[in-house]
Amino acid sequence: MRIGNGTKLDALCGEYVLGTLRGAARRRFERALREEPRVALQLRYWQSLFSPRYSKMIELQPSPQGWRRLERELGLARYRAPWHRRAAFWRAWAAAATAALAFGIGFQLLRPAPEVKPLLEIAQLTGKVDVSRVTARLSRDGRTLELSAARAVLAGPAQSYELWLLPAEGGAPVSLAVLGSLDARFALPPALLGRLRTGAKLAVSVEPAGGSPTGTPTGPVILVGEITA
Amino acid sequence: MLDDKEVRRLLLRTAARDEGSAEAFERLYRTCAPLLLGVARRIVGRRELAEEVLHDGFCAIWRTAESFDALAAQPVAWMVAIVRNRAIDVRASHDVSRVDSYHDAPDDDPEGALDRLFDWSPDAGDNEDRRRASKWLRDCLGKLKAAERQALVLAYEHGLSHGDLAAHLRKPLGTVKTWVRRGMANLRECVEACMVGPR
Repeated sequence: MRIGNGTKLDALCGEYVLGTLRGAARRRFERALREEPRVALQLRYWQSLFSPRYSKMIELQPSPQGWRRLERELGLARYRAPWHRRAAFWRAWAAAATAALAFGIGFQLLRPAPEVKPLLEIAQLTGKVDVSRVTARLSRDGRTLELSAARAVLAGPAQSYELWLLPAEGGAPVSLAVLGSLDARFALPPALLGRLRTGAKLAVSVEPAGGSPTGTPTGPVILVGEITA
Repeated sequence: MLDDKEVRRLLLRTAARDEGSAEAFERLYRTCAPLLLGVARRIVGRRELAEEVLHDGFCAIWRTAESFDALAAQPVAWMVAIVRNRAIDVRASHDVSRVDSYHDAPDDDPEGALDRLFDWSPDAGDNEDRRRASKWLRDCLGKLKAAERQALVLAYEHGLSHGDLAAHLRKPLGTVKTWVRRGMANLRECVEACMVGPR
């Protein structure tokens, strides 16, 4: 069925937009709308004239089940990105990661600072021959000793340096370490903790590779220094 | 806020039927369902029926999103039309004589109803054409004869048929039909006069 021209079509469009076109008349009009472009055009014109914007006052909150029912009945799950490609997922992930990071940093800040083991200078070792000045530093807990040479000093291939403790109360030198370099940091033997005290001396001798074969200095002593702190 | 641009984007995304469609459709629902439920409620009267209309309306929006003409149609108006048509059908298939639901509405005050129901203030998202069209429509509705205006507002707001209008206004069917037909014709004439007239 063709819908009439001009006034008739106009009236139909007006009533359709208003909602008073009913029953068979409306069905005919809707069919014409799909089949006859000029009807669709005319309706579009009417819609542009008559499209008041509803006030927010008329809004009502739908029941919470409404959306779930739609989702189920339309099978919307198929049209969702897998969880790992969803923007919402990554937003949540980013938020969680940020929170975790902030928490971690906060946690780090709350924790006692890791022990930097501040070292205190205890002796300056010097020698008659022009080797180098070596500074000895002891960690606050007395377990770690560090030597640092003003100039790098390395033992020859067949030599080692051996560091000795000359106790303040006298007695035989006690071996602290066998070194290949006068720049070194090492843990003190447990038996010697607490013995690097003021008045005692540190000495370095040149020994065969691997250290003194006898347990006492056998080679020339090249550096000596008194513990002052 | 029903931002036409955003609603249009969500409709097109819904129509795409890809991985992001369900998410877009859900946002569309969250954004527009309250308004559409309000529209349906004023036509069908009862809340439960209105929820049914909303459900059917969104099913239709999902199914027909691909036929939404992004260039031609105002997206919110497009959805309102779907829900209104569905509500009008539901209203017709239920107890049509039930007119009490809007009896308490002060419909002897069509001016008030017009401004209660619609928002005529220019919207930030509107373009200039849209803003002018809205102003012309409001002005022209104001210039209609009171009986015509009342018939149009009742029909639009509550989805009343000619028969409902006649019963409610206690006028002969023919009289009411004439009010509606003349009302719409006069409205159109008036808005067109605004279009060509001095701006």
